[in-house]
Amino acid sequence: MAKRIVLCIGTKKGLFVAESSSSRERFKLHGPFGSGVSVYSALVDPRGTPRIYASSCNAFFGMKVLCSTDLGKTFKETKSAPAFPKDDGRALANIWSLAAGDDKKELWCGVEPAALFHSSDGGDSWEMVSGISNHDHARKWHPGNGGLCMHTIVRDGNRMHLGISTGGHYLSEDGGQTFAASNKGVGAGFSPDPYPEFGQCVHKIARHKDAPGRLYMQNHGGWSEWSGPGGPRPGIGVLRSDDHGKSWRSIAAGLPSDFGFPIVVHPHNPDVVYVAPLEPMTRTCPGGAPAIWRSENGGNSWRKLTKGLPKKKSYFTILRDGMDVDELKSPSLYFGTTTGQLWIGRDGGEQWDCLFDSLPPIHCVKVAVV
Amino acid sequence: MKRAAQITVFIPGPLRECCAGAGELSLSATDLRAVLVELERTRPALHRSICDETGAVRRHINLFINHQHMRDCNGLDTSLVTGDTVVILPAVSGG
Repeated sequence: MAKRIVLCIGTKKGLFVAESSSSRERFKLHGPFGSGVSVYSALVDPRGTPRIYASSCNAFFGMKVLCSTDLGKTFKETKSAPAFPKDDGRALANIWSLAAGDDKKELWCGVEPAALFHSSDGGDSWEMVSGISNHDHARKWHPGNGGLCMHTIVRDGNRMHLGISTGGHYLSEDGGQTFAASNKGVGAGFSPDPYPEFGQCVHKIARHKDAPGRLYMQNHGGWSEWSGPGGPRPGIGVLRSDDHGKSWRSIAAGLPSDFGFPIVVHPHNPDVVYVAPLEPMTRTCPGGAPAIWRSENGGNSWRKLTKGLPKKKSYFTILRDGMDVDELKSPSLYFGTTTGQLWIGRDGGEQWDCLFDSLPPIHCVKVAVV
Repeated sequence: MKRAAQITVFIPGPLRECCAGAGELSLSATDLRAVLVELERTRPALHRSICDETGAVRRHINLFINHQHMRDCNGLDTSLVTGDTVVILPAVSGG
């Protein structure tokens, strides 16, 4: 069967699913699903009968998990959503990340307030993962403007990397039983200690599946001019690890700003990484001219990709899950904006076209080849 | 011991799918808290949409006993009498 591109677009007003042939010339849009309700995370699991999962984060009626088994033509709520134990005292405020487990129906879910949940039955029941959710540090984490969210789950066998804003990077090496803060070299601009043990505002972590020791992090940057206690912290926003996240170093040199939200790795080359720099104070495109920046050497140098993008008067934000890349031979990037535009960057970002111009504000973009 | 009252619970449109489409439910309860306990037992999906896992009524949900908001009565301890209505309404907010 010919390959299809399935593009999930989580917005402030529901989930949209766009579908295309592998040519990626035209995308047909379905939705919105969970209409009127914010979708912060989506997952396309292409194994076997493909499944699409999405969080439906209803400020009125609480959190739901939606599931589709027909490539996004219809969705149903799973039988339950993650929930803290009754005697825990915390209440679920948002669902920020969904990740596939090893088994077909195994799911991991990161939530706000920062905690991790696990499902073995495709989201019909959930269990809180105590090793991180009740970690000694958990009650010391504090929310940033976006809330106290566990937004990143990256797995590699028994290793599990979690990104928490504002908590930092946590690493498990025993399949999620226990976790340790692993933030050596990860700076924080908003505390007197420039390199605390934990409490960093990690924005996103990414890696290539065949190079699990190499990780890239978009951290909360923008502190090069700080003159208070601890001194300036230039370049803490874009980082790289070569030891499975045990230590990190800056790769921000050459970027117009080390502030941004998403970070994406090329599907066929772990040295190729993409970021979307933003002005740190406004979180909008530097100079009103959006650009995606690509490094082809693991962050040692960067090149600006702008062909087809607006040249001026564009002041949108790309949020932490708002950019993804497909896995075709010549991959395309996709990013969604807070102004409701969905862009495709063909040939690895060399040529940009706007696929959809007037969607609701976009929270997340996830693509898969099925 | 207080005798349970026969009351009617009115369900807003967005939550009727939690009750097989029903717009109202009849049940017996002594007070508003007992209404929520009964809904948790018989309509767990509806209850999850009204209360979070700590048991608190969600921030953007308003519960009225007849025409009075629960906060202007005795909160969840508001006593009910036969014929009372409990109205579940989402708050006016959003954008």
